Amino acid sequence: MLWRMSAVLPLRLLSRLPLCSGGPEALAAAVVLLGASPGAVRFFSLMHLSRAQNNIQRYFGTSSVIYNKKDEQSVPTHEISKETESQDSVKENTKKDLLNIIKGMKVELSTVNVQTTKPPNRRQLRSLEATVGRLQRAPEDAPKKSESLSPELVAAASAVADSLPFDKQTTKSELLRQLRQHEEDSRAQKEGERPKVSFSNIISDMKVAKSATARVSTRPVHQIQFDEGSDDYGGQEKTADLRKSLRKNIFKGKRLNIFDLKAVTEEAPEAETAPSLWDVEFAKQLAAVNEQPFQNGFEEMIQWTKEGKLWEFPINNEAGFDDDGSEFYEHVFLDKYLEDFPKQGPIRHFMELVTCGLSKNPYLSVKQKVEHIEWFKNYFNEKRDILKDSNIHFN
Amino acid sequence: MAAAASARWLRVRCRLCLPLKSRRADPCEQAPSCRFYSESAALPNVEGADVTGIEEVIIPKRKTWDKVAVLQALASTVNRDTTAAPYAFQDDPYLIPASSLESRSFLLAKKSGENAAKFIINSHPKYFQKDIAEPHIPCLMPEYFEPQIEDISEAALKERIKLRKVKASVDMFDQLLQAGTTVSLETTNSLLDLLCYYGDQEPSADYHFQQREQSEESEEATEENNEKSRKKAGPQLGVTWRAKNNAERIFALMPEKNAHSYCTMIRGMVKHRAPVQALNLYTELLNNRLRADVYTFNAVIEAKALMVNEKFEEKWNNILELLKQMVAQKVKPNLQTFNTILKCLRRFYAFGRLPALQTLREMKAIGIEPSLATYHYIIQLFYQQESSAKGSPLIIYDIMNEVMGKKFSPKDPDDDAFFQSAMRVCSSLRDLELAYQVHGLLNTGDNWKFIGPDNRRNFYYSRFFSLLCLMEQIDVTLKWYKDLIPSVFFPHSQTLIDLLQALDVANRLELIPQIWKDSKEYGHTYRSDLKEEILMLMARDQHPPELQVAFADCAADIKSTYENQDARQTVPDWPANPLNYIAVLFLRAGRTQEAWKMLELFRKHNKIPRNELLNEFMDNAKASSSPDQAMEVVKLASAFSLPICESLTRRVMADFTVSQEQKEALGNLTALTSDSDSDSDSDISEGK
Repeated sequence: MLWRMSAVLPLRLLSRLPLCSGGPEALAAAVVLLGASPGAVRFFSLMHLSRAQNNIQRYFGTSSVIYNKKDEQSVPTHEISKETESQDSVKENTKKDLLNIIKGMKVELSTVNVQTTKPPNRRQLRSLEATVGRLQRAPEDAPKKSESLSPELVAAASAVADSLPFDKQTTKSELLRQLRQHEEDSRAQKEGERPKVSFSNIISDMKVAKSATARVSTRPVHQIQFDEGSDDYGGQEKTADLRKSLRKNIFKGKRLNIFDLKAVTEEAPEAETAPSLWDVEFAKQLAAVNEQPFQNGFEEMIQWTKEGKLWEFPINNEAGFDDDGSEFYEHVFLDKYLEDFPKQGPIRHFMELVTCGLSKNPYLSVKQKVEHIEWFKNYFNEKRDILKDSNIHFN
Repeated sequence: MAAAASARWLRVRCRLCLPLKSRRADPCEQAPSCRFYSESAALPNVEGADVTGIEEVIIPKRKTWDKVAVLQALASTVNRDTTAAPYAFQDDPYLIPASSLESRSFLLAKKSGENAAKFIINSHPKYFQKDIAEPHIPCLMPEYFEPQIEDISEAALKERIKLRKVKASVDMFDQLLQAGTTVSLETTNSLLDLLCYYGDQEPSADYHFQQREQSEESEEATEENNEKSRKKAGPQLGVTWRAKNNAERIFALMPEKNAHSYCTMIRGMVKHRAPVQALNLYTELLNNRLRADVYTFNAVIEAKALMVNEKFEEKWNNILELLKQMVAQKVKPNLQTFNTILKCLRRFYAFGRLPALQTLREMKAIGIEPSLATYHYIIQLFYQQESSAKGSPLIIYDIMNEVMGKKFSPKDPDDDAFFQSAMRVCSSLRDLELAYQVHGLLNTGDNWKFIGPDNRRNFYYSRFFSLLCLMEQIDVTLKWYKDLIPSVFFPHSQTLIDLLQALDVANRLELIPQIWKDSKEYGHTYRSDLKEEILMLMARDQHPPELQVAFADCAADIKSTYENQDARQTVPDWPANPLNYIAVLFLRAGRTQEAWKMLELFRKHNKIPRNELLNEFMDNAKASSSPDQAMEVVKLASAFSLPICESLTRRVMADFTVSQEQKEALGNLTALTSDSDSDSDSDISEGK
């Protein structure tokens, strides 16, 4: 197994980007594996995971467009990207490809995220072992059907399971369950067509809500524990549940029913007025609310920077130099203003000297420099007759 | 945020080495992947070369960073040093404060130094003209607070308003009127703003710092005192609206008035506690068919609640009526509207509870996110008295479930009171789990900034720590002790007593000498209740010899503080209990000499030693087989006419070889005692 994976690895590492075009399913598989490998990657929270997935998905947009231009046969992965886009046309060899993809991506992603300096082979093996270890831990969770998943994914998952020397059935069903879940998620996201609400937001919201409810259930238990001082845990739990169901959430119930949500949220054109003294003072009060003494020297330096007592980072020779936000190159590269001048000859020579001088002048603004060049243009225009006499052409 | 900024900053460098064709839109993509990108980029380029030609290379735009981004990133790497005083106090070692009192005076001293310097610079600007900084640093130069425009014009009036010269502005306005110049509506309105905000008084010369009147208050009184100090902290202390003041006069003189003029007048009247006039003016505003803005409505709501001689129900109906008027006038309520209502409902006691909940739900329903102050008001309303907490103990759990994990930004001036009141409830409910939740919320994001000024932080942490002492395992409590003290707060003596009791419960008395050392450091050297607690715990039981030695050292140290105290005070006073405890501790540690000296002190200060102490002395005398000492004990007992005298005498007779002389003396003493047996009962009760 080690040999097989390491053979796949270098190639896959190189072709990481095209691999990503495997579509949400393949990606989901990768994420499943990534998520399932604990230990080094354990710190990876659900939110991070989903965000990583999201980013990579977004990345497909560009990459698939790029690869569409290429020869179909030259890159095998391209087939997959296309294949997942149109799911009905299933080719024979895609199964193998997908399997490769899943394996390759998994290795890659876990190494990438762990950012280890160890040789990737060993790491990958270990994480695989860890994966299986964890999968074995929850064999009961093995789910039932696999209708919603496309057949090639099922095959790929089973291939992955086969490649592992552990309980194959468990591994496979665990994989499939995760895959299905991710497929559902990604489909929901696709259909939802809510560009602003990202997947990660949904996931993170879910997480918050869940932990909150968990807290609700634990909370009254302790409360009663204290109140009654008894140790009968089971009985308390019941009472706690009862109490929980009996009591109302303070946020649910009758409200005043005076204001209307629509009326309040609709954007009324606000007349722009200068802030009055009241506004200014209120803002000051608010600013004072979370004013705390400095926690360290850097915070003090931040304050000094804001007050203008310190050099601003990054420290360069443009401190205190403000020319309406124009960049240094606008000051230095002035050749583009010489297009209207002759390409050669004494005028050109003269003007190049002028721009050279201007580019070294820190005291003029860009606008002034351009005006300066303009002045010469007009000047030479006015003197066109004289120039013609002396056989010099201006335009 | 700063951490994110630093991560992004680091990535810039990675990004530059990416010759990738694609636009990397999302800067949040994880940095580690960069390593692989640089390699993998080779493949698509090679493949792409013969098929599609060279991909277009889009050089990423140069990122401009905030001037403090680097510093923020650095600041986020610095953690709190649990062994030192907070950064703000770090100074010359001699000056570093070690108690809450010292820390306060430290901050005041520092600030007043700054203010004094600023005052000198601003009052003598002509001596501070030399500008040595390059580039120029404006904030180091004197500010000009004197009006520059001399002649009588609207511009001069505007300048005076801008400089907040109340009297000068009014004079200028009058002069303009006398000269027959009409002042524009806008300028008049801003003059009214000035007059109404400051209640027609010159604003106090504040140099961005107002010394808050917060003396060392007892913890229980903090709540009420906060109310007071908040009012005092306002720009004008106790300024009330005077009838016919300049604001009213100018308002009456105005040829045309718009909504702003009315609004600012109403707000000023409410701010300076003239609700009746404010409501009258509001009616006038309605009669003139003008619309009040949301701030004015907030003020009027407050005015309705301030009205005296009205029932709660009446007031509440008035407030509802106002809200309906807001809907009718299409004025959108804001957070302040609801916070004002809740703030007022706080004073309605039990009546306010249902309306408060309805108000909260209304807020949520129309999508106004409650701020910390909102929850603070609700908590105050539902947990007004510690005893009444029983009636509504569950509200706080709902609130905590709601706010858990959220990061707050300042939206209301009362936002900084939430944590204090939440911790107060935790402590009255004795719910450690909840306290941990509150503390977790405090440490979410930048929420810790809402802990408020010094006294609130002390209150919060003392309550939290007392709860820990009460409910948590001693090891965890000690961990918190090390973590919080002194880097977060300096403990009250009550906090230390709580800790001592926790040590007692957990049978970890060996730590007491260490606690005594700490309490000396935190300025509790002369707290007799703390010292008595320490001595009591040390003297209560017998301990192994090494521990007794340590305890005796500690007792000697405490004894010396009493002696020093004597020197400071005109009337030296030794309470009886510490004398007993110290003597016992000396005896048990084998410091017999000192113990006997303690016995002298009893006589000197006319305090009554306990029976157990005398017995221990007797044991000691026996151990050293010194009948003289035994005699001494009996003499002392008889001097105080203690009933134990008899039994002591018997012991002396039985255990010691006494000379004839001594026997006689003993006989005399006993006779003396039996004579005064009648009043010895009262002595006992006193001595105990």
